[in-house]
Amino acid sequence: MRLDLSKVWKAYGEGASQFWALRDVSLTIDDAPMIAVLGPSGSGKSTLLHLLGFLDTPTRGSILLDGTSVEGLSDRELSLVRRNRIGFVFQQYHLNESLTTLQNVMVPLELARVRDRRTVAARVLDQVGLASKLGSYPSELSGGEQQRVAIARALANAPELILADEPTGNLDSTTGANILELLLGMNREKGIAVVLVTHDEAVARSCDVQIQVRDGRVL
Amino acid sequence: MLWMILANARQRRARAIMTVAGVAVGVGTLFALLAVSAGMESALEREIEGLGAHILLLPEGCPYTLTLALMQGTDTLEYIPQDMVPEFTRAENVRLAVPVVVGRVRLGGEQVSVYGATDGLFTVKDWEGTGFSGAVVGSDVAARLKLAPGQSISLELYETVTVEIAHILPRSGGRDDTFVFVPLPTAQTLLGLSGRLSAVLVQTTDVARTAPTRFALSRMANVQAVPPSDVFDMLVTLFGSIKSTLILVTGIAIVVGVLTTMNTMMMAAYERKKDIGLIRAVGATRMDVFRMFMVESLGVSLVSGVLGVALGYAATHLLPRTSGFGLQSSPAFSLGYVALCLVVAAAVGSISGIYPAVLAARTQPIKALREL
Repeated sequence: MRLDLSKVWKAYGEGASQFWALRDVSLTIDDAPMIAVLGPSGSGKSTLLHLLGFLDTPTRGSILLDGTSVEGLSDRELSLVRRNRIGFVFQQYHLNESLTTLQNVMVPLELARVRDRRTVAARVLDQVGLASKLGSYPSELSGGEQQRVAIARALANAPELILADEPTGNLDSTTGANILELLLGMNREKGIAVVLVTHDEAVARSCDVQIQVRDGRVL
Repeated sequence: MLWMILANARQRRARAIMTVAGVAVGVGTLFALLAVSAGMESALEREIEGLGAHILLLPEGCPYTLTLALMQGTDTLEYIPQDMVPEFTRAENVRLAVPVVVGRVRLGGEQVSVYGATDGLFTVKDWEGTGFSGAVVGSDVAARLKLAPGQSISLELYETVTVEIAHILPRSGGRDDTFVFVPLPTAQTLLGLSGRLSAVLVQTTDVARTAPTRFALSRMANVQAVPPSDVFDMLVTLFGSIKSTLILVTGIAIVVGVLTTMNTMMMAAYERKKDIGLIRAVGATRMDVFRMFMVESLGVSLVSGVLGVALGYAATHLLPRTSGFGLQSSPAFSLGYVALCLVVAAAVGSISGIYPAVLAARTQPIKALREL
């Protein structure tokens, strides 16, 4: 998967209250790198991640997916790209509280109408070390375990890119290190590109590439 | 997808139950109304046919009130002079004219309807035997008062008359089950109606020429000749207007069901914004979200529909068997009514689900996630 951001600007609000979250960002993701996006709060890290994940569209500039502009893609086509090629991991895990661990991981498989979704979900949960927690609800899991479920959900449809928004931000250092290890493993062993937003310099150092974002600009 | 929807519904179990109950009440009312009114119409038809007459000769007055009084076995309060009967019999095309008198009397401390007639009633009613050899008792009266053939009963009103029971009628499911049939003079003595008649049942020789016979009979003084089918049509029309009002009220209950379901689904679209944003982020299309909401709304409505039919069925059994017009009627069920109620329930689900489903499908993943 190759993603090219070319002179991308992103504004929120209108008129006097307009605010530029990203300014003139150009960036290429190719060949399954492990990228850390660093920067203070409000610098535009999450906005960048949302644009890379097709959750949002740029105000100006263009995004190319495998060399083709995504500008003309319909909401449905963008949804399919997210479903089949991208996995998301959030700081707050964002699991559905009414679903079990296994069911949470089955959601993207269900949307993609994958056969044997139960088996696939159980296998992915086994990969993240949660084989014994398939029937547990999020409220019964620790923070680290919940983030593992979120990673398993991101991995379910065998994505080419994982976008992780401060995945270790809510975890203690040991658990955080384990989660980071898990993501690194996915990158190294499965060749999945990972873009990781973090505040943590140590986390950033373990990645192949570090991108600094300040006031909406990539330095 | 169903397990995702069920998990969501389980999360708000109490509200799901309330919504189901709200729609079920409306659908149940509709089902009960359809079954009861169909039963009512068929009871009315059965009773009118059970009169056994091609033409009904009634005293002057409202023919419908008089016919109902005759069917219910209450005093008609208007009478035909008995000495006119030979005149009726002589009219062209009249095969049989059976004079009848009805009224309520006391039997063993209870009120029963007494039906006095000449032996011709046996022909009109198609009973076994050629005429009265004592009282003929309807099955309900016999069962209620534990009466048996050969037993003597004392009927009281103006006079006390003792008659022997000749025969207990087999159960017909109609009004005849509630009558004590006695010879005409006995009933007249009992009711203090000597020389007076409540009605005359006329059978024609050529049924196809009933209409001219009826016109000929209606030209006679102090009497009106009514075809029972006219009475039936009129009563059905009258009943129809009551039914329309009831259907309107049921319609309101169903509209309330639509609003309740819509409210639930709107709340769901709002409360589940986070979950919707998430499934949109992991690749759900707008159509996927729309479908999930519609399936949930339809599911709730169909469950309500099934429950409503069951409730309506149960409710009809709680109603008294003697309903409108004082006739014996039992609800008439049909698969058509079940189907109609389920279609109404599905319509409730579709109508109430569309707007919330559109709202939910419009959820922007980025906005939902930013609000988390």
